[in-house]
Amino acid sequence: MPHTYNEIQFTLDPDLNDIIIAELGELGYESFVETDSGFLAYIQQDMFDEAALLDLQTQYQDTVPLAYATQEIAPKNWNEEWERNYEPIEVAGRVRVRASYHAPNPSFEYDLVIDPKMSFGTGHHETTTLVMAQQLHLNHAGKSVLDVGAGTGILAILAEKLGATQLTAFDIEEWAYHNAVENCAVNDCRYIAVFQGTIANCPVGLYDIVLANINRNILLQEIPTYNQFLKTGGTLIVSGFYERDMTDITQKAAEVGLKVVTQQTLNQWATIRFEK
Amino acid sequence: MAKEVAGYVKLQVKGGQANPSPPIGPALGSKGLNIMEFCKQFNARSQEKMGMILPVLITYYKDKSFDFVIKTPPAAILLKEASKVKLGSAEPNRKKVGSVSWEQVQQIAETKMPDLNCFTVESAMKMVAGTARSMGITVSGKAPWDN
Repeated sequence: MPHTYNEIQFTLDPDLNDIIIAELGELGYESFVETDSGFLAYIQQDMFDEAALLDLQTQYQDTVPLAYATQEIAPKNWNEEWERNYEPIEVAGRVRVRASYHAPNPSFEYDLVIDPKMSFGTGHHETTTLVMAQQLHLNHAGKSVLDVGAGTGILAILAEKLGATQLTAFDIEEWAYHNAVENCAVNDCRYIAVFQGTIANCPVGLYDIVLANINRNILLQEIPTYNQFLKTGGTLIVSGFYERDMTDITQKAAEVGLKVVTQQTLNQWATIRFEK
Repeated sequence: MAKEVAGYVKLQVKGGQANPSPPIGPALGSKGLNIMEFCKQFNARSQEKMGMILPVLITYYKDKSFDFVIKTPPAAILLKEASKVKLGSAEPNRKKVGSVSWEQVQQIAETKMPDLNCFTVESAMKMVAGTARSMGITVSGKAPWDN
């Protein structure tokens, strides 16, 4: 489940909002919405520290007098509205991704059912489509696959449908972990082991294919680790970054001996396929 | 034909760290926008400012699509970076806990110019220096216009 949040309504001279927001950023507050009488600040409930807030109020009592009120926001699927109405998508004329409320279309080779529940990966985003299109070029029969930052589990699910028989998928977010498990079940996947965590928690193993649709910074940090999980001759597909970041990603991969096989872009988003 | 604007959402979010929790979740989700799409885009576009609070103005359209503009970080955030101050002074007018030079104030003012209602760098610098004072950060040396 997503985290419970505290919403704190700060009342102060709105011209001075930024000063207090800068301080709150240091205290673990994640995001802010300006209002006519100050701003709203959001923090995970388990990070909320009332004493720190009182200190801040005292600290600024002369220059930025402020008042605040706190309310709890229970976790829920905020993306439900979009998820109730999303349109199925098609990849390379061979894969169709749909929600469970859509009727199947037997003219596609691969029918994926994804009910995302606030997790990333429905194929609507360019990076998911790009990686799936690359997967279609690979022989998956009997292969092992590692899906890093799996979100809904969409890439691992396609990998199993393409013939992979030993798969591991994980995501740092608890709700994504639960969602990936649900989607694997809905798609009758039998070979995907899902866990919540990061590459640091991944049991040691060697894979034929590693998939990572995350972001530039994480990829730059973790590509050397992905390489350690990759068999010689194996394939690494990365995405989640823009065209402008391709040089940095390629350079990092080259440092550990990975060779570019192909790269593709779509609306400025990029994917690169490497071979070890 | 241009898409029909349905409204705007203005938030401040940490670079590279947007997630579907409040306020992003309720603010975009209630309008039927795909929150995960926004988070992916925002995080990719703000990778170079990871963890820094960034104002973002989201325009959403009747067809449930959206686009957004990421503005420059608030002056207070840039001052914190520049002065390496963890927290502001407990007594801003008496006990200073950090300092910045006028050159740093100028750099911040120039960074902020696109988002400020200032016609000159000098007026932007005065605004930034005022923010520093309120935070208990000293601006060291003489202001360029006093020389």
